[in-house]
Amino acid sequence: MAGSGTAHLRDDPDVLIRVENMVVEFSIPGGTVHAVSDVSFDLVEGETLGIVGESGCGKSTTARAVIQLPKPTSGTVSYQGRDLTALGNEEMRKIRPDVQMIFQDPISSLNPRRTVHDIISEGLRVWGGRGVWSEERIEELMEAVGIDPRYSERKPHQFSGGQCQRISIARALVLDPKVIICDEPVSALDVSVQAQILNLLEDMKERYGVSLIFISHDLSVVKNVSDRVMVMYMGKVCEIAQSDELFDHPVHHYTRALMSAIPGAQVTGQADLLEGELPSAIEPPSGCRFRTRCPKATEHCRVEEPQVREVSPGHWVACHFPHERD
Amino acid sequence: MTPEPAGPMLEVENLVVDFATPRGTLRAVDGVSFSLDKQEAIGIVGESGSGKSVLARALINILAGNGTRTGTIRIGGRDIDQLTKTERKHFFGVEVAMVFQDPMTSLNPVKRIGAQLTESIRYHLGASKADANNRAVELLEQVHIPSAARRLRQYPHELSGGMRQRVVIAMALACEPKLLIADEPTTALDVTVQKTILDLIDDLRREQHMSLILITHDLGVARGRADRIGVMYAGRLLEQAASEEIFTNMRHPYTEALMQSIPDTSHPSHTRLQPIPGRPPDLLSPPIGCAFASRCRYAQADCIDIKPQLELVPFDHLHACHHPVGTSKGDQALATNLAAGETAAGLVLDDELEGVS
Repeated sequence: MAGSGTAHLRDDPDVLIRVENMVVEFSIPGGTVHAVSDVSFDLVEGETLGIVGESGCGKSTTARAVIQLPKPTSGTVSYQGRDLTALGNEEMRKIRPDVQMIFQDPISSLNPRRTVHDIISEGLRVWGGRGVWSEERIEELMEAVGIDPRYSERKPHQFSGGQCQRISIARALVLDPKVIICDEPVSALDVSVQAQILNLLEDMKERYGVSLIFISHDLSVVKNVSDRVMVMYMGKVCEIAQSDELFDHPVHHYTRALMSAIPGAQVTGQADLLEGELPSAIEPPSGCRFRTRCPKATEHCRVEEPQVREVSPGHWVACHFPHERD
Repeated sequence: MTPEPAGPMLEVENLVVDFATPRGTLRAVDGVSFSLDKQEAIGIVGESGSGKSVLARALINILAGNGTRTGTIRIGGRDIDQLTKTERKHFFGVEVAMVFQDPMTSLNPVKRIGAQLTESIRYHLGASKADANNRAVELLEQVHIPSAARRLRQYPHELSGGMRQRVVIAMALACEPKLLIADEPTTALDVTVQKTILDLIDDLRREQHMSLILITHDLGVARGRADRIGVMYAGRLLEQAASEEIFTNMRHPYTEALMQSIPDTSHPSHTRLQPIPGRPPDLLSPPIGCAFASRCRYAQADCIDIKPQLELVPFDHLHACHHPVGTSKGDQALATNLAAGETAAGLVLDDELEGVS
């Protein structure tokens, strides 16, 4: 999309999260930042949804607004059929254990003064009734993420970045969540460690039956972990499809530009290269927000915003003149 | 232009960089040797802590105060230790220039772009203010910054990340260096911007007949931009060969492991990745033998006891390994280890190499 629409939402009974027409705006001196504008997507149980886009495209804000941090300006977020935007603080608090987060910087997301044991078990302490508090449970989780339980009294600075990310994963899993939102979880890690963490996330997904929303700017990482991928640009959805389908047959010109920019990528056919700079999010372009940098933009793109439409089963794009699916 | 002396642009011989730390001496660069021809581009690839940035800093003589360097560095045929103080002043920054990773930290936030660009032109070339200004506009146009004259009056925060990195590149080019060192020049940037910056460096290198050292953690970035690639690990250069040769015919097990751990968009989603087990050695007490031995699937007893030296194999390919990948020695070492279920260094080999560090 750089467009809108809800046609791509699925009528699956296993839909866990359904976001409709979500808008997130921030007021700053000098105007309103349109961070997320009319974004819709859903997440089915057991699925990994990857969200890709460049800095400032609203991918992190989108994921955080799902857990109402910040609360969306408008639109609905339903979790297992309940609209989270309509819940009061206390009701929302009761849902929070179900949706956990893992952040980019593994070291700064752990409290440096606390032991690994305290960090992992804190959720259980806060939610006394939920899940059985037991030392075995904590030990099991540490084993599962590959941290030797003998080190449970150590503090974060005694671990490497990759190990700290393992601890973050254990902390996220302790309350048996349904969904984990991973915000650039491997961007701060070296490639050899990145592979360890990506494999671990896949294992944990299988073992504990969680669904993932996986945010990254790295297309090859997103392709590896995701079942479906959503591409965002300036707070709008461009394209959404099954991971393999999207990478084999990208049709949105922005998606194509992103893919041809992957270092070392063997560009096939004509490459779409981006011209110019990212427009201001305070005064986004009219119509399709990508039109100012799109090689195929016409007058029509300026006047009318494209709606999401299906180009092949399960493959949705918001573009008036998508690339022919080859 | 004065006639250029014959010989390579850069020769590095047995470069060692030590840092004095409270916990002892840390050897960040351990006996690195390589040379770079005129107009050639080399990519130095390695993970954090491999010593690649320290190597770059040593080349341009800006090591931190607790660092000491031994070994010789000859740039344009001149030993940099033989330069007099006055020569040195107009050598680094003129003959050799550097582009750093984060454009925001290499620009002064409270000075206008123009002032920062003209500073080195006036200092090194002794140009007048007006001439320096004209040259600054020229430089900004060279790195494709639109409305260059207006930009000179702007501050760094008024530019996007990609524009800032262009300004930093323009600054590096100000005195027409013969050797450009780019240390992770695009790591802080988005992929589409990264591509334009790498293209720009590539074009400028050809137009201005510069030599280039491109330092990166991303093998893909070095591929296609560098004529040759050197792979660093724990302060040592483990392998060095022509760019495509490294990708198609890698000899060092670390190079192979590094390539296998990177997700590949040509593989279907959920393809199991092959991480490198374990973690790099502690450089305060480095192992006696090969630094990669404890994580290597090919490791044999000699890898633990004897440090392998760089050896030349056909196709101008150097590697430091006792049991190189794709050779009968390597195949045999791997087969022995797989049969035993573990390597000589005690690394357990499963069907699945899960790295629990």
